Amino acid sequence: MILADLAFSFGVLSLIAFGGMPSVMPEMQRLVVEVKGWTTPAQFIQLFAIAQAAPGPNVLIVSLIGWRAAGLAGALVALVAVCAPAAVLSWWIADLWERFKDSPWRRAIQKAIAPLVVGLTLSGGYVIVTPATPDWRLWAIAAASATAIMTLKVNPLWLLGVGGVIGAVLLSG
Amino acid sequence: MQVTPPRSLTELFLGFLAIGARSFGGVLPWAYRTMVEERRWLTPADFAETIGLCQFLPGPNIGNASIVLGKRWFGVAGALVAFLGLMALPFIWVMALGVLYLEWASNPIVRAVVTGVGATGAGLFIGTALKLAKALVRKPAALVLVAGCFLSVGVGRASMLIVMPLAAAIGIFFARRGWL
Repeated sequence: MILADLAFSFGVLSLIAFGGMPSVMPEMQRLVVEVKGWTTPAQFIQLFAIAQAAPGPNVLIVSLIGWRAAGLAGALVALVAVCAPAAVLSWWIADLWERFKDSPWRRAIQKAIAPLVVGLTLSGGYVIVTPATPDWRLWAIAAASATAIMTLKVNPLWLLGVGGVIGAVLLSG
Repeated sequence: MQVTPPRSLTELFLGFLAIGARSFGGVLPWAYRTMVEERRWLTPADFAETIGLCQFLPGPNIGNASIVLGKRWFGVAGALVAFLGLMALPFIWVMALGVLYLEWASNPIVRAVVTGVGATGAGLFIGTALKLAKALVRKPAALVLVAGCFLSVGVGRASMLIVMPLAAAIGIFFARRGWL
């Protein structure tokens, strides 16, 4: 039952994706590549690339993974699974959160989550550019793109385009 | 600023469809342009507050925002309609690109380009995280948490299911002591 497996796996990811999808990327890569074997490490970075280049929320990478694992049904199941549990939680928490606006616990939770999101998002980037064996060319491209997004005010789409050209030069052959 | 929430489910759907259709390179700027500037459903402050909440909640931020806003305006039906509107076109786009890519995946140049795009995307994650980290540099306790998460989950490939609860507990402890 690969559909049930997809639904459960991505459903769990949904609930731990604090701060959004970037922070859950390391767990997604681990699960998809190492635990389930739905893609190879090299395919994972390519599916990630497609989801980044396409318009829309970057969460759509799960549809590509679901599609590789179980066709169109897999794509739909993966997308719903990664969104629904978090959506249900948002539904309830949105009001509760407002009610505890001045609670010291709310402030503590908010402050605690910020460094976790930073550490996990860094991990996500690192894991994606470190498939199987470290490759300095991927690291160089990632370092350049990180520097660019921090210093330039451009639509990230341009950077992805430039990265594709650099990839063609450095990585083909 | 005069704001008017969407008057019908159709209007809600078309608004979120417009966000999804145009959101090349990031959804957030387009969500702002569509809902605040063009359709005037929300004030800028209201938008910022909603997004702030959704960035805290688990799950895809903008997906959650569609649920929270759809619910506010039309209840369950609104939440579903906004979510479907947001995802419909990007889903078709990404699947079409996926199919196209599979056709060409055996070509080494295509593979090199796509891998380059992927490495760039990963770099964007790293850059964004470093931008967020600027607010934390003067707080050693926060940097300990950042390093701990990175070393365990990134380098050590430990499962987030173990690291997250542990790190969250330590983080809340630090925050209660006023270290964050």
